[in-house]
Amino acid sequence: MTKQIIIRIIFISLLLILGIFLYISGKEHTIFIDNKEITLNDTTYRANSDYKVWIDNKELKVIKKGERGLTKVTGTNHKIMVEKISDKVLTGEKHEMRFRLKMNEKIIIINLPAMINNADEWLIKQIN
Amino acid sequence: MKLEIKKIIENFSLPRIIVFLFLLFLLILTPFSGLRFDSTINDIIVRFGMNGVLVLSLIPMVKSGCGLNFGLQLSIIPGLLGAIISIEMGLRNFIGFFAAIGIAIFFAVISGYLYGLLLNKVKGNEMVVATYVGFSIVSFMCIMWLLLPFKSTDMIWPYGGTGLRPTISNKGYWFNILTDFLKINIGEYLVIPTGNILFFALLALLLWGFFRTKLGTSIAITGINADYARSCGINIDNMRIISVIVSTIIGAIGIIVYQESFGFIQLYLGPLYMSFPAIAAILIGGATVDKASISNVIIGVLLFQGISAAAPSVVNNLLKHDIAEPLRIVITNGMIVYALTRVVRSR
Amino acid sequence: MRNNNLTKRSVGKIINVLLNNTVPIVILLILVFAIPLSNLSGTFIIREIVTRLSRNLFLILSLIIPVLAGMGMNFSIVLGAMSAQIAIIFITDWGIIGIQGVLLAILISTPIAILLGFFAGIILNKAKGKEMVTGFMLSFFVNGIYQIFVLFIMGSLIPISNSEILLDKGYGIRNTINLIGIRQVLDNLIAFDIKGVRIPILLFLIIGLLCIFIIWFKKTKLGHEINTVGQDNDISAYMGINVGKIRILSIVISTILACYGQIIFLQNIGTLTVYDSHIQVGVFTIAAILVGGASVTSANIGNAIIGAILFHAMFVVSPLAGKTLIGNAQIGEYFRVFISYGVIAFSLAVYAWRERIEEKRDEITKGNEI
Repeated sequence: MTKQIIIRIIFISLLLILGIFLYISGKEHTIFIDNKEITLNDTTYRANSDYKVWIDNKELKVIKKGERGLTKVTGTNHKIMVEKISDKVLTGEKHEMRFRLKMNEKIIIINLPAMINNADEWLIKQIN
Repeated sequence: MKLEIKKIIENFSLPRIIVFLFLLFLLILTPFSGLRFDSTINDIIVRFGMNGVLVLSLIPMVKSGCGLNFGLQLSIIPGLLGAIISIEMGLRNFIGFFAAIGIAIFFAVISGYLYGLLLNKVKGNEMVVATYVGFSIVSFMCIMWLLLPFKSTDMIWPYGGTGLRPTISNKGYWFNILTDFLKINIGEYLVIPTGNILFFALLALLLWGFFRTKLGTSIAITGINADYARSCGINIDNMRIISVIVSTIIGAIGIIVYQESFGFIQLYLGPLYMSFPAIAAILIGGATVDKASISNVIIGVLLFQGISAAAPSVVNNLLKHDIAEPLRIVITNGMIVYALTRVVRSR
Repeated sequence: MRNNNLTKRSVGKIINVLLNNTVPIVILLILVFAIPLSNLSGTFIIREIVTRLSRNLFLILSLIIPVLAGMGMNFSIVLGAMSAQIAIIFITDWGIIGIQGVLLAILISTPIAILLGFFAGIILNKAKGKEMVTGFMLSFFVNGIYQIFVLFIMGSLIPISNSEILLDKGYGIRNTINLIGIRQVLDNLIAFDIKGVRIPILLFLIIGLLCIFIIWFKKTKLGHEINTVGQDNDISAYMGINVGKIRILSIVISTILACYGQIIFLQNIGTLTVYDSHIQVGVFTIAAILVGGASVTSANIGNAIIGAILFHAMFVVSPLAGKTLIGNAQIGEYFRVFISYGVIAFSLAVYAWRERIEEKRDEITKGNEI
């Protein structure tokens, strides 16, 4: 009898773990990418050029100076890569950052100027 | 003492008591919810007049052992035909009303006869076959409503369209003709539709008298014990057919009374689910799959329509939520499910 | 002399086959006329049928097991559909997309389906002999409770954070929910095109697995018990089988399968009409399997597949055939509804009539024995 109960508990626990895994890895997050000027901790970062953006190796459109781009991702671990564009040509100047998302962080705002300059708060998370 | 209470509860059936208490509760709450008590009572009485005859029509078939008439649509369609033909002929007031009934009876006899033949072939499974036959006929008539050559401008699509409109108003023809007949006004909000109630009483009386005749008793015996009936020399198949015809005729009259009060004739898929409120009403009134009486009809319609009338307004005003419609679905169908799960004695 | 007897027997056999399969044959005849009338191209019809098959076959197959258990056409598969929808509302609220969304929906909906199936099974056990009517009315009853749950409890007692799916008053779910997150996830996972007809391989694989599961299941001890219960309740009880439990189990399995079937259906369509999607499930699925030659007492995979093809062909073709024939497309749509209900009424009537004839035959033979 107890053996049956233990097996059942293990089975249900496995299902719960599976459920949690599916939840976390399947949850969609919205990412805004701002190529705009931002002031953090008394330092102002200016948006100087256009950038082409890749999120998780998927190509996005070019985000011009002062523009905001949007994309959606699922799961926790992501990376963003940008390449500077000068005179409508890729310059080869790249920057890359990795970031992790938690379950309740539905909206993320990445600020390109801040990111390029390795500022601390280049990524702002919005809960719900 | 405890045993007696238990017996009373069994006799009246627990769900029925719950429904009754719920209705009482609603009525008590009416004044507190910002509604007028007398207008609610008015609502209930009017609805009784509207639905009473339809529920009455269920009795003959239950008495003969055909079960609950899930195929009520087969009584409603003759009624619809009667109504629209009467309007097509331009008849108004009482002439229009009774012409509608007359024509409806004509179709009802045909429909009832065929329906009865079918039910005889499927003894033991009448209810489920009737449900789907009813649905099929309603959808078939949808095609007919589009094709039949009616010309009255009050009924067909304007601007030269073909086919009847889904909802046809009978205002100006025989709307409220019965309801207003000899009506009694009590205050501003309470109008007793004497005409309707008298008409219902008349039909109930006729039905009661019918079951006191030799034919009526033969039908009743068929329902109680088919073998015994056979041994008495009664042709059960014929009795069943007759009971179905009577049910269909009363049902056809019933839908015309309903429309007279409601103001609209509903075609196409309108009648699709109309059997359920009627069946739920008679069940709440204490009837079962093989036993139904006029008192079941009266109590049932009052309780069922009482809740239909009182619940929306009261509950909505109190809870500030519109829970009425799903609640009505739950009560209507819950009653039917409950009745179906009660053990039936074998015939 | 011998030749005469052989021909007589073969003719008798042919007549038997015709009688047993009246419904599919009638529908086939209707199709033979309707397809040319509709002026639809063969490719179009085939494409529509393939899509609808992949979408609905799982649901249709879920009807088989209760028939084996002698419970007739399980109208309460609607309860399985409701479980699926509740789960999908949740995953949409949480923003779970893709294959994870579908899998999570399956995970969450299963316990709900088990619960509802269990409830239905208990009620149906109390209505022996009237299972189909009771199941039918039960689906309306539970629909009312479902509506109260989705319209009032969700959003208030159960927190829903995604305001896009809530009604304006702050609680209660909207009717139309866009399932763009899980749209066609299963379809597209493995699929390829043949001559312009897209074939969702994964879906058909899943359906194939279900067929294999049903075949295997029939051979297990449980499957045999279900069969025995379906044949005769008394003999089963005599053999020590817990008849009530087996009946409940058959309904639970059917409800779970219907739940998954509805998830497949919804991910294909990509939109959830919260208050509508599940209602037609009962009628159209049952009509489909009956069109395939199933009856209240017998249903197999062949019935499901043939029925699905015929029914969906008729579904696609009738509106336009009606338009060509009478000039009114609406007639075709009503015709569709009429055929669906009519097929069920006809099959049920034929079955009930046959039952009566056999009862009469037993009475007469019993009489003769005395």
